[in-house]
Amino acid sequence: MNAILQIARNDLRLFLRERTSWIWLVVLPLGFVYFMGFAARGPGGPVTPTVEVRLANHDDGFLGRLVLEAMGEQGLHVVPPENAEAKRGITIPAGFTDRVLATQRVDLEFFKVGEDTDPAAAMVELRLVRALIVVNSLLIEHAIATGGAPPTEEALRGLLRRENPVTLRSSFAGRKPMPVGFSLSLPGNLVMYLLLNLMVFGGASVAAERRNGVMRRLMTQPVRGAELVMGKVCGLIALGLVQVGIFLLIGQFLLGVNIRDHWFAILVTLAIYVWVAASLGVLAGSVIKAEEKVIGVCLLVSLPMAALGGCWWPLEVASPALQSVALAFPTGWAMAALHQLITFGSGFAGAREEIAVLALFGLAANLAAARWFRG
Amino acid sequence: MSLLRANRLSKTFGSVRAVDGVSFEVREGEIYGLLGPNGAGKTTSLSMICGLLKPDAGEVTIQGQGFWSDPLRARRLMGVVPQDIALYEDLSGRENLEFWGRMAGLTARAATARAGELLEALALTDRARDALKTYSGGMKRRVNLGCALLHRPRLLLLDEPTVGIDIQARMTILEFIRQLTRDGAGVLYTTHYLEEAETLCDRIGIIDHGVILAEGTLPELQRRLGENQLFALEGGFADTTPESWPGFAEQFRVLQRSDQQLLVAALKTRDPAEGLKALLALPVPIRNVTLKRPTLNEVFLQLTGRELRE
Repeated sequence: MNAILQIARNDLRLFLRERTSWIWLVVLPLGFVYFMGFAARGPGGPVTPTVEVRLANHDDGFLGRLVLEAMGEQGLHVVPPENAEAKRGITIPAGFTDRVLATQRVDLEFFKVGEDTDPAAAMVELRLVRALIVVNSLLIEHAIATGGAPPTEEALRGLLRRENPVTLRSSFAGRKPMPVGFSLSLPGNLVMYLLLNLMVFGGASVAAERRNGVMRRLMTQPVRGAELVMGKVCGLIALGLVQVGIFLLIGQFLLGVNIRDHWFAILVTLAIYVWVAASLGVLAGSVIKAEEKVIGVCLLVSLPMAALGGCWWPLEVASPALQSVALAFPTGWAMAALHQLITFGSGFAGAREEIAVLALFGLAANLAAARWFRG
Repeated sequence: MSLLRANRLSKTFGSVRAVDGVSFEVREGEIYGLLGPNGAGKTTSLSMICGLLKPDAGEVTIQGQGFWSDPLRARRLMGVVPQDIALYEDLSGRENLEFWGRMAGLTARAATARAGELLEALALTDRARDALKTYSGGMKRRVNLGCALLHRPRLLLLDEPTVGIDIQARMTILEFIRQLTRDGAGVLYTTHYLEEAETLCDRIGIIDHGVILAEGTLPELQRRLGENQLFALEGGFADTTPESWPGFAEQFRVLQRSDQQLLVAALKTRDPAEGLKALLALPVPIRNVTLKRPTLNEVFLQLTGRELRE
């Protein structure tokens, strides 16, 4: 056990001393996370876009100001009448408050500028109507409550601030939402770069140590062959966990990806996936003799595995055939588990099957690495 | 007491028989030199002794116990210095020493303390913290040697540890190895440098084409060549056949010849003056005859028919 720890610690130290390691571990992957996350960002949560409306308020009473406030609540941004951007407008006539208080009918003038067909501009009409309904409702509610007493500004504002007795909550029905933005790009790039880095670093270091005689020297030490293999695998696992830690922290605190809710399950999933990638790296270094060939082969293997496993785009947009192909690769299972945990909010129970399959991949890769390890 | 016994080791790679029935022994406090040209089978023999290769036939015994009956025990007793500088270039000399000490089973504290001792003994203390890639070839060779000594091995296997370094660095390493044997360690030293084998080794095995051709102390090997009687003859020998000269073949053997010089060995012990007299009586004009003591190169030449040049 001590030999395993010593080899792993030494390998980690060597990897982290290389300046290029940090570029491949952190700088480049995070750059891709940001770029891909930004490019693939979705519509986000339901929000009310603010649209501009021209307003000419000739009233100097409190009801004119109340109409303005109700318009703001409806997502309307009031601009001066001469503003050229706004395509809709409303005029509040002089004496509006006085006439309402005198229970006289008052018409507000709504007008269009040009024949603008922008849907957002068209929404202004609907929102204006809703704002006027709100004001009328306040007047009616006040009249009913006070038996027809004239409304005051304070009383109407109190009614306006009151919590609505009826609210509407909306949520996705049917299938789960498609992962988009950083919720896709963070796990996608992490899964891809873990595989790429651990295969390239692991394979190249085993091949280099075989070339310069260090591996033969290690094999003359009082160390079992299995300890040597596990030391190499554990060194790569430690390296992978460094990358995982950095990604998860940045994802949670800078990119707003929801890691916190199921952080332990996410960590377990990634740790098992790191074990798979580390074993594949040692295997690659064992079966391929030359360093430069190892790097080339690892790139050729890891990038298609990442693409087919759903690291570049959500598998939900791929054909059923490609979705089935993804199940042949550890990347596909890792992405499925991470989407369950990050995007869909499932706990361990939701990703149990994916984690179990990943563990089988890890076991198989580790046994293969031990079987074909060459010093 | 025998630390290492190689008994009839054989190894074949494809159709090439790299080692063929090699046997020798290394005792406590002894430096045993395995001398031979490149490709003679030295490294293959050493690889079988330290367990990197399994012999096709034969057996390796370490302190009386077969290597493969308990490989970890055997490896704990030995320190191996490979021919390559098998170290981590990005680590410092101290970090390399400490790492290999931990691999040999030392605790962190023991490895640190022992690394300090070795850095001082190998005159590397000043550069201990520098990355190995900034060291000279000789300094790297010293670290390469030191990394096998952390756990004070009883048996040291050195595979051409001075290849490619200058004379001064070589002398430093050889003196260090001599000191190790004073503490009772046994050393198996493979080399193709004659001078090293002559000055360093207590006993020498001459190996070529995977076979040990002769073994013994330097005087024992020298005695194989006419009891210290070698004669260097200068003259014109371009178109001559010494073996056809009357009485020559019964008394002498040609070791080396050129147009201007013959190197011959006396076949029987005799007074050197008699040998000189017999040579001067030969029917060829000889300008000069020198009596010389056989070198290891000449022993090798006699055994293999070719020279072993440094």
